[in-house]
Amino acid sequence: MNTMKETMTPDERLWAAIRLERPDRVPVLPGLLPEPAATLSGVSQAQIAGNIETAVNAVFRVFDAYGGWENPYPASYTPLQLQASGIFPLPMRIPGVDLADDVPYQLEEVELLVPEDYETLAELGFERFYYDDFLWRIGNLERDELPGVQTAMARGGGLFLQECAKRETRPFFLASSLHPFFMLSLMRSMVRFTEDLYYAPEPVERAIERMTADLIATQLDFAKQSGIDIWLLTEERASCFFFPPVVFERFWWPYTRRIVEAFWAEGIVTLFHLDTSWDKNLPYFKELPRGSAILELDGNTDIIAAKELLRGHLCLKGDVPAALLSIGKVEEVEAYCHKLIDQVGSGGGFILSSGCSVPANVRPENFRALIETGKRHASS
Amino acid sequence: MPRELSTAIVELARDDVPAMIERKLDAGEDPLAILAECREGMTRVGERFQAGDYYLAELLLSAEIFKAAVARLAPHLPDTDGDRPVGKVILATMRGDIHDLGKNILATLLRAHAFEVHDLGVNVEPAELVEKVREIRPEFVGLSVLITTAFRSMQEACRLLEEAGLRDSLRLMIGGGVTTPELEEWVGADFQTQDAAAGVAYCVERVGEA
Ligand code: B12
Repeated sequence: MNTMKETMTPDERLWAAIRLERPDRVPVLPGLLPEPAATLSGVSQAQIAGNIETAVNAVFRVFDAYGGWENPYPASYTPLQLQASGIFPLPMRIPGVDLADDVPYQLEEVELLVPEDYETLAELGFERFYYDDFLWRIGNLERDELPGVQTAMARGGGLFLQECAKRETRPFFLASSLHPFFMLSLMRSMVRFTEDLYYAPEPVERAIERMTADLIATQLDFAKQSGIDIWLLTEERASCFFFPPVVFERFWWPYTRRIVEAFWAEGIVTLFHLDTSWDKNLPYFKELPRGSAILELDGNTDIIAAKELLRGHLCLKGDVPAALLSIGKVEEVEAYCHKLIDQVGSGGGFILSSGCSVPANVRPENFRALIETGKRHASS
Repeated sequence: MPRELSTAIVELARDDVPAMIERKLDAGEDPLAILAECREGMTRVGERFQAGDYYLAELLLSAEIFKAAVARLAPHLPDTDGDRPVGKVILATMRGDIHDLGKNILATLLRAHAFEVHDLGVNVEPAELVEKVREIRPEFVGLSVLITTAFRSMQEACRLLEEAGLRDSLRLMIGGGVTTPELEEWVGADFQTQDAAAGVAYCVERVGEA
C-alpha cells in the first residue's frame, strides 16, 4: 500500500473527479446517514428518529472519529421529516414509537395513490396534491403537527451547515428529489404502478410530464440558491432489473434527459442515485453531456463494465455492498476497495463510497477500512 | 383458431383471461385442466424471463393474472387430492424486516408451479419459523430480506433449525436485493438469489431429491 501526500482540498479533489480530471487521490464519500451514524456513535435508532439535533450530531461525531472524508452527505433528517417534505411519500414505522428502540425506521409500501389521482397530479402539480391531500392519507402525521416538523427540519438543516462550516467543508449537495417515475411507483405501490404502465399508461404519462416540469422549476431554483453545483436525483425502480427497455425508453429516459439538461444548462451536475442493476441501461447515459452527471451505484450494477463504457464521460460513485459492510471481514472490505480504486479509479472520474447508504448495522472496523483504504491507497 | 388460455397469460392479457376461464367453466371443462393450462402459461412466462425477453415487470403482471385465475377457479376445484402439490415451501421475511414485495412474487410463482406455499408473512420470529417447519415438514424454506439488520435473525433461524434436528430435512434458500453468496455462507443457507424465477427453478430441480 503506498501512502500519498495530499495536495488538494476535499472540494478540489471531489470536483477533479467529477470533471474527469485526475485528483491527488481518490475522493472518499460514504453515504453516512443518521441510521448507521447512530450505531457507530452509540445512540439508539429511537433517539435519532425522535430528535433532529441528535441525528445531526451523531453524523458529525462519526465524521470526526474516523478522521473525516470529502464533503459530507447531507444527513439532517428524522424519518417523519422525510415524509413531511415529500422525499419519502410512504407510511413509516418509527423506532421507539411503532418499533423497538434499536431497529431502523421502516417503510410500508401500500396502495395509497388511486388511478384518478394521476389526473389530479397532472392538473395541480405535486406540491399541492401532496400537501392538500396525499400526506394526510399516509396517516403518520396530523395537520397541526406539520409546521412543527417543518421547523425542526429547517433547524436541522441549519445545524448541518454550521457543523460543516466548523470543519471548513461543505455538504456534498443540498437540493434533491426522487424521480417522478420512482415517486409514483412508491405512492401507488410497485405492482399497481406496473399494471398502470402496461394497461392504462396515458394518465401516468401526464402525471410524469407535470411532475418533471415542477421538479425542474423548484429544485433548480433551490440548487442555485444553495450555491452547490450538485443535486441528487434518486431512482430505484426504472432499471432493467424491473422493466424492459421499452418502458424505460418511454416513461423514464426522455424525462430524465430533460431534467439533466436543464440543470446542466446552469452548470449543475446531477448526482444519480441508482440502486439495483443498471447494466442494460448504462449505454443511454452516454447520451448525456460529458461531465453533466455522477452515477452512484449500489453494488448490483457491474461498476467495472460501467467504467469501460463511461470512462472519460461521466464520474462514477460506489459501491462497497451493504452486505459486505455489515458481515464481511476487514480484509475483504480492503480488497474490494483496492479493486475499485485500481480498476475504476485509475485516471480519475471515481468517488469511493458505500453502495447505497452505509447499512445501519455496519461493523465499525469495516467502516474504518473503507475510509482508510480510500485515503491511503494510491491507484496504480 | 382461438387463442389458448396459456397464450393469453403469456401475452399478459389481463382483461381476457377471466372471460376465457368463464367460457371454459360454462362449457363444462375440468377445472383442474383449466388450472393446468394456466400453469403452463406461467411456465412459458418463466422461460421468457430466463431467456431475457421478459423482465420482473412481466413476471409480476403474470403472477397477478394467475392469482386472479386461481381465485376464480378455487370454488370449482376438488380438495387438494386432485391437485397434489409437487412439494411444500415455507416463506418468511424474518424479524427486523417488513419488506414483502419479492416474497409475494415468489409465493405466486411457486404456486403456479404446483408447490404448496405457506407464507408466514413479515417480521417473523426464528422460533416461530421452526415451529412451522416442525408442523409442515416442507422440502424448502425460503427467507426473503431487503435490509441488513435482519441478517442476524436469518442466521438464528438456521441455527435453531439445526438444533431442532430439522435442518437436514430441507433446503434453505435466501433471496432479496441485498443478498450475496457471502451472506448465504454466513447464514448457513443452501441457495441464494436476487431473482424469484431462479428460486423457482431451484425448487423444481431439487424437489425430487429431497
Ligand atoms: C425501492 C427501494 C427503496 C424504497 C422503498 C421500498 C419499500 N417498499 O420499502 C425507498 C426509497 C423508500 C427505500 C428506502 C430505504 N432504503 Co431501500 N431500496 C430499494 C431498492 C432499490 C429496491 C427494493 C425493491 O423495490 N425491490 C423489489 C423486489 C421485488 O425485489 P426483491 O425484494 O429483490 O425481490 C426479488 C428477488 O430478490 C427475489 N426474492 C426476494 N426474496 C426472495 C426470497 C427467496 C427465498 C428467493 C428464492 C427469491 C427472493 O424475488 C423478487 C423478484 O425477482 C433496494 C435495492 C435492491 N437491490 O433491492 C434498496 C435497499 C433495500 N434499500 C436500502 C436502504 C439502505 C434504504 C434506506 C435505509 C436508505 C435511507 N437511509 O434512507 C431507506 C429505508 C429503508 C427501510 N428501512 O425500509 C438498502 C438495504 C440494505 C441495508 N443497508 O440494510 C438496499 C438493499 C439498497 C442497497 N443496495 O444497499 N428503499
